[in-house]
Amino acid sequence: METISYLLQGFAVALTPENLMFAAIGAMLGTLIGALPGLGPANGVAILIPLAFSLGLSPASSLILLTAVYAGAMYGGRISSILLNIPGDEPAMMTTLDGYPMAMKGKAAEALAISAIASFIGSLLATIGLIILAPILARFALQFGPAEYFALFSLAFATLGGITGKNPVKTIVAAALGLMIATVGVDITTGNQRYTYNILELYEGVDFIIAIVGLFAISELLFFIEKHIGEGAGRATLNKLNLKMKDIIEILPTSLRGSLLGFVSGVLPGAGASLGSFISYTLEKRIVGEKGNFGEGDPRGVAAPEAGNNAAANGALVPMLTLGVPGSGTTAVLLAMLISLNIQPGPMLFQQNAELVWGVIAALLVGNIMLLLLNIPMVGVFVKLLSIPPKYLMPVVTLVAAVGIYSISNSALDLYFMVGFGLLGYLLRKLDVPLVPVILGMLLGPEMERNLRHALSISDGDWRILFSSGLSIGIWIVAFLGLALPYIIGPVLRRRMERARARLEVEEEGD
Amino acid sequence: MIGDRILGILLLLLAVVYGWEASQFPEPFGGAEEVGPETFPLMLSVILGLSSIYMIVKPDPDQDWPGVKTLLDLGFVLVVLFIFAALLAPLGFVISTTFMVAVLCWRLGARPLQSGLTGLGCAVVVYVLFNFVLELHLPAGILSLS
Repeated sequence: METISYLLQGFAVALTPENLMFAAIGAMLGTLIGALPGLGPANGVAILIPLAFSLGLSPASSLILLTAVYAGAMYGGRISSILLNIPGDEPAMMTTLDGYPMAMKGKAAEALAISAIASFIGSLLATIGLIILAPILARFALQFGPAEYFALFSLAFATLGGITGKNPVKTIVAAALGLMIATVGVDITTGNQRYTYNILELYEGVDFIIAIVGLFAISELLFFIEKHIGEGAGRATLNKLNLKMKDIIEILPTSLRGSLLGFVSGVLPGAGASLGSFISYTLEKRIVGEKGNFGEGDPRGVAAPEAGNNAAANGALVPMLTLGVPGSGTTAVLLAMLISLNIQPGPMLFQQNAELVWGVIAALLVGNIMLLLLNIPMVGVFVKLLSIPPKYLMPVVTLVAAVGIYSISNSALDLYFMVGFGLLGYLLRKLDVPLVPVILGMLLGPEMERNLRHALSISDGDWRILFSSGLSIGIWIVAFLGLALPYIIGPVLRRRMERARARLEVEEEGD
Repeated sequence: MIGDRILGILLLLLAVVYGWEASQFPEPFGGAEEVGPETFPLMLSVILGLSSIYMIVKPDPDQDWPGVKTLLDLGFVLVVLFIFAALLAPLGFVISTTFMVAVLCWRLGARPLQSGLTGLGCAVVVYVLFNFVLELHLPAGILSLS
């Protein structure tokens, strides 16, 4: 009951004309970002943060804008998977399996419409799940002491590589680098200078927004330069939409199952959207069995992964909002937004900033309806964007990123840092070191250290306090499994995902 | 193989220097305690040190590294970005942006004329949008009217 009254309050925030406008702009921009080649959701949100920041938007408006971008990017990502067989990001990979064959049969418009509806159902159900689950989890998390929090942050790093991750040692290296960057600056507790070398600009530490934009946007530019990808993916054509009510009803059960699985894997640490769409697809294939023609353009094969992927994206907001522990790159970027607005995420968020949190949740619901309305009639516009060649797009994206960073403090030094981080990001990506743990380290570093010192000063320097309660031991066990499991199950899962895709390609060549 | 080993050695050096510096932190005002500003950095230095040793001992197979020509290209682009940052305030937004965007378009394979036009076009559009619509002031530089 309490939840419903909070939610109504949230709608009061989200439905003000100003915030409705921001949700609409965000949904539009997000779909654009998702549809354009070379701009992932994390990258897109990262570029927009400094802009929202220097425009002086209120915290609620900034968050509504960026969560709408986040939701929109998930919608936009499927367009190139279906039309061109090029998945925009990893979770969209499963959508190509049946989406592209549908497009080859001249049913591209239907595939896009079905995926939009399935995405809508997935996001809607997951937002409802978020509304129910988040307050419960937040209340539970109030029992956490500093030792539990320290364990929880370690868990976040351990599971970040995901079950399908490659080399856990590289995840640890990346996390350590991020945490080390976070220690630069004046120590909050004692006032000691650490690693500042008497450079005034370093006293406040390294700004993580500059690091995020550099690591994502600039390193992406360098990859495009390296591979000489200048030409666009070619023109995609779209047929006239012919979707009957029957088609929609047919995919409903599939979408419901996909949403449920996706939500669960979004909430769980380490699973994430890729696993969500993969499980939804394979399970659906097993349930439908011989009656379906999966892999040859079955609409259910489009609906299942899309519902799963969008539900997972929204589910991932649960740990981010309630525990302050993001499970994916994009939610990490949203966390960066919260921290730079001086809002401390975690269980207290639901009490101290109730209006803001529920405003954002209500905006997710509103944004989803907007996205559905926007996507079915306007998909033609977004399809045209696919043919923008990267040789013009990437320089403009770089410019927008640079302008955003420059507008924070009008300092050229920030731009040098951005380019430096871009080079670092490029080198790390070349060596298969993931970038998200670096960013998460920079974000969580100060809190993690504060909790460690707090715990140790309670116990008078006895490190055993970190393993003293049942809860913290439980969290440590999960964290350990998060690092160990990729070694055991990871190769199997990865091989299966690749095999599913390889099979499709073989069939295509056989045609 | 070699890539991971080089990274591992560099990281090991970083871990040692970082840890050594942490151990040299001056004693905080009010006397040393069980946990101080150096505790967390020392912990990180040990973690990074151990993982980098693992990387040296058990490196992953290398990705394909680009040839010398592409590396020069990448270096060139980085230099262009640094020049852009340095010239932004003195020369002004429009000139430095036209330069930066045009060079990047050209390096990605666009024809010189089209690159130049793209550069000039988006420099002017972004400048007008920021200064007059969003009211965020970008440096006018030598094109300043006043």
